[in-house]
Amino acid sequence: MTLSILIWLPLAIAVIAATLTGPQIGRFSAVGSLATLGIAISYVARFHPHRAGLQFVTDQTWIGALGIHYKLGLDGLNVLLVLLACVLFSASLIWATFREWNRPRLFYFHLGLAQSAVLGAFCAQDLALFVAFFDLMLIPFYFLIGMWGTGDRVRATTKLVVYTLIGSFFMLAAAIATGVVASNEHGTSLTFVLSALRHLPLSRSSQEWIFLGFAAAFLVKMPLVPFHGWLVDGYKSMPIPAVAVFSGILSKVAAYGFLRIVLPLFPYASVHYQTLMLLVALVSILYATALAFTTPDARLVVAYSSVAQLGFITLGIFSLRSQGAQGALLQMINHGLVTAPLFFIVALLAARAGGSEKLRDMGGIAFRAPVLAALFLIIVLATLAMPGSANFIGEFMILLGVFKTKVAIAAIGFVGVIGAAYYALRVFVSSMHNRLNPNAETREIALADAAAIAPLVLVILVLAFYPQFVLSRTQASAQSSLSGTATPIRVAAR
Amino acid sequence: MAATTFAWLVLLCPLVGSIAIALGFRKLRGRAPGWIATAAIFLSFAFAVVTFVLLLGKNPHHRELTSTLWNYDFSATVDAKLQILVDPLSVFMILVVSGVSALIHLYSVAYMHSDRGYARYFSYLNFFVLSMLLLVLGGNFIMLIVGWAFVGFASYALISFWYRRRTATRAGIKAFVINVVGDVGLVLGTFIIFQHAHSVEFLKVFHSTHHVFAHDSSSLVIACLLLGLGAFAKSAQIPLHTWLPDAMEGPTPVSALIHAATMVTAGVYLIARMHSLFEQAPTAGDVTAIGGCLTLLIAATIGLAVTDIKRVIAYSTMSQIGYMIMGVSAGAYSAGLFHLMTHAFFKALLFMAAGSLIGAMAGDQSLDRMGGFRKAMPFTFVGFMVGGLALSGLPPFSGWLSKDEILGFLDHRGGGFLVLGILGYIGAFLTALYTFRMIFRAFFGEPVEQARQLEEGHLAHADVPRNPATGEEEDSDVGFPGPDHHIAERDPPMKIAMGMLVVLAVIGGVLQIPGVDDGIVRFLSTAFADSKLSRALPSTGTDWVGLAIGAAIAVVGIATAYRLWIAAPETPSRIRARFAPLYTLFVNKWYFDELIDVLVVRPALMIGRLFDSAGERIVVARGLTGGTVAIVRASSAAVRRAQTGLLRYYAAGMVIFISAVALYFLVSST
Repeated sequence: MTLSILIWLPLAIAVIAATLTGPQIGRFSAVGSLATLGIAISYVARFHPHRAGLQFVTDQTWIGALGIHYKLGLDGLNVLLVLLACVLFSASLIWATFREWNRPRLFYFHLGLAQSAVLGAFCAQDLALFVAFFDLMLIPFYFLIGMWGTGDRVRATTKLVVYTLIGSFFMLAAAIATGVVASNEHGTSLTFVLSALRHLPLSRSSQEWIFLGFAAAFLVKMPLVPFHGWLVDGYKSMPIPAVAVFSGILSKVAAYGFLRIVLPLFPYASVHYQTLMLLVALVSILYATALAFTTPDARLVVAYSSVAQLGFITLGIFSLRSQGAQGALLQMINHGLVTAPLFFIVALLAARAGGSEKLRDMGGIAFRAPVLAALFLIIVLATLAMPGSANFIGEFMILLGVFKTKVAIAAIGFVGVIGAAYYALRVFVSSMHNRLNPNAETREIALADAAAIAPLVLVILVLAFYPQFVLSRTQASAQSSLSGTATPIRVAAR
Repeated sequence: MAATTFAWLVLLCPLVGSIAIALGFRKLRGRAPGWIATAAIFLSFAFAVVTFVLLLGKNPHHRELTSTLWNYDFSATVDAKLQILVDPLSVFMILVVSGVSALIHLYSVAYMHSDRGYARYFSYLNFFVLSMLLLVLGGNFIMLIVGWAFVGFASYALISFWYRRRTATRAGIKAFVINVVGDVGLVLGTFIIFQHAHSVEFLKVFHSTHHVFAHDSSSLVIACLLLGLGAFAKSAQIPLHTWLPDAMEGPTPVSALIHAATMVTAGVYLIARMHSLFEQAPTAGDVTAIGGCLTLLIAATIGLAVTDIKRVIAYSTMSQIGYMIMGVSAGAYSAGLFHLMTHAFFKALLFMAAGSLIGAMAGDQSLDRMGGFRKAMPFTFVGFMVGGLALSGLPPFSGWLSKDEILGFLDHRGGGFLVLGILGYIGAFLTALYTFRMIFRAFFGEPVEQARQLEEGHLAHADVPRNPATGEEEDSDVGFPGPDHHIAERDPPMKIAMGMLVVLAVIGGVLQIPGVDDGIVRFLSTAFADSKLSRALPSTGTDWVGLAIGAAIAVVGIATAYRLWIAAPETPSRIRARFAPLYTLFVNKWYFDELIDVLVVRPALMIGRLFDSAGERIVVARGLTGGTVAIVRASSAAVRRAQTGLLRYYAAGMVIFISAVALYFLVSST
């Protein structure tokens, strides 16, 4: 069974679902996503944890003249992200199934297309293929906001389109340049296969400007400050199932891109821009944390906390230490697992506060909803990376990596840790505790809603006991991704 | 079975108890959750005793056992496993923790009976015990940090237990955030230690301390100060103490368990556990010792001025932990831990008695409105009196032997420590004073209405329950205290728990009588075998001189209190008027809350608002985004009509355009 089946199955399911009618469309999509999840689990089960190289490789020439291959494969960097993507899409589809959507065929089609594109982007082992999937995965979200969004969706769509397309354009140019410059500098035929490009290191100057192209695309996608202009409107407008996967998994594609493409192919530039990237990440953490302190909107607290978390992930990657990279990979999984259910819960809170997502309209609802409160509390504690959660191990490793490189940045980064404790608890307390808000009603979580949230909470709890599950699978590949940056001087000498 | 197996069982009992109660919260009726939780902790205590016996059976030089379940964070040179360390220190701690916890659980069975959150309460309480046991049993820095944060969370959850009170939720957040500051200190300290020792395992780190760190090297001093930051936050030492008085918002048994007997003493355990590091970095030890001394004095002065009975005991706890921190920082490990144990007994007892008293006052906690309860509540009075005498350090009560053991060590070590020791004696005088101020005001004098009613057999009952802190009206549904009040005189579980603590508070000291048995020093000696400081113990004679001085000071303190509040009750107000500025300082708790508010809280919120108004709205939205978007908008009004479907064409057009550009690049360059 090739990885192609895993990648294209969601799209196929969406196409089949489009032939059905009424509630069956959603149900078929949800059940189908569970099948995809099953396949992803089988890959993780068959994955050899301690091998550094690619496994389950599919390699076919796609556009021979340009050296572009349809090459897919799994290693420690992406195997668990693929699983995370399937888990989150399943949860989102289960969530969506129990709700009414206008034009359901199109809605589920876009979600299916998005999942296929995301899985493709994670599995792609060819630069051109990665770019294609990366752009493809954004398109369904333009429609999901534009057609099913709330609030000022036109403005939100415009901003998202403009930002991401500019980012994509930079990345496209950078990707093309990588292949072309590599073949020119080494006098070989044009290729975009990542493993081949790794053996064709670029000169210092080329690395430096190509790095910036990729960095622009990835930083917009995550987003980090100051590339986050689309974030507030985008996250506010997106329908809940879309924002859950967008924040949970699409932002990780960008972080993953740094580990898969930028560090191995541009090791010199990665070292060269290390401090800059660490500072961007640090500023993002502090800036987003400060905003999360005061924003009156529950959904925006989650959005800003995502920015802060992606700041931590970037810190880990650009610590250029194995601890940091490992922590970043673990934190990508952890953040996906907490941010998606947080958005679901924000929706539940809004449903109990007369549709408002403002914190001042919420409050006191734990009182007749102990199960909802308990689920929310577990997720909040994981979000603020309480020791004992896998999120803590992620942040611990990230900051340990940074600490080994730049002590001051690590020390300041801890301000973000303390801030998270406050803003995460603030959301929980001001929605669940204190007197019952006159605008709010207290009602226990419905079984249908719990079906999307409880499994994610279960995964969070299991990982809390055994974060090693992730760490031992990512170790070899994280090491290999960093190997070039340890001796960039050799590359620079060319 | 090995000792470590039983140590795992010690952890398993509260874990199972907590989960079982949490999952069965709808099914379990009546007092069932309370009894399940209590049974779990008693079982845990029994396993702790077995562990202790098995450890005693071992050769004193082989009393360091580790046991691992599985790898936890074992990658990229970090070597953290799910691991426990069983040695005399951890076994001593699990005995104290599980023993006192078991009694407080028993007390709670009755005390919390009418609360609508009964099951939630016991689930949290069991979880707390699990966390505390994990903290003291953890075999590496990661396990320690996990336990450390878990107790912080349990403390938060129980402070905010009556979560519909705004005062309680605020106090909870405050406690949690300050504790996270402490956690960060612990993590950063761990980073420095890991960077030098290349391991997070306790035994590996401690055995290599002398090789990897030069004596008083700056990195080790910083690491130890960061660990000290963690200890100070958890143990409510100045300036990270402001959460503890507010933590009294939680139910009284919680104050007894978490905010007196166990969790707040974690800082003492931490310094004792890290003694080989602290001894290699004496500067850090000096700083923490001075911090402890400052705390014990400042807290005692505040204890003299505040009128909320629980807050008086809370400041007393701060002050007593100051003694312990000062002791273990100076090298008096056994003495510090001995005081930790006796303090757990008598302070838990004081809180329980105070809880009973508050029950009789129908929830009112103000000393101003109490008085003359001696006859109405004879059992509670005896309990409070025994706790108070032990706290004041009167012979032969347990607190006398333990506190003066610390001070004797400091005097013996001499130099600057002699000064700390003398300040400790001044603190001891203040301790006796504020303790008996409480006792004389609550139990002596003219009986108040509630006391007179109780003498006739009517327990006070508020028609409309109110939050004692704000006077706000409350109901007694979930999230508020239950409708009924419970006093020790009427509820056997409370009476039994307090009775056992009365016995322990009186005779707990016999475990360690200088020159007679020296039980605790001998048992703990192998844990501190590598310590140079603890070998220089004062002689038995010096010890007894110290004990005599301590006893005399306690007597003087109690006599002064008698003079002030019984013999000449008009004097306190005259003193207040005479020293008005000082009194204002004390009653406002030395303005620490206000200081932190101005220095930390307000600036943080201000920055957040500034970023939101200036950063987001102007720079990002108008400048960065607005500019770009405006260009695009101007060129395509089509986007505005997204709903008509034009957006689809627009997006497709962009993709095609980009693809075309890509192709152009490709073709032209090859």
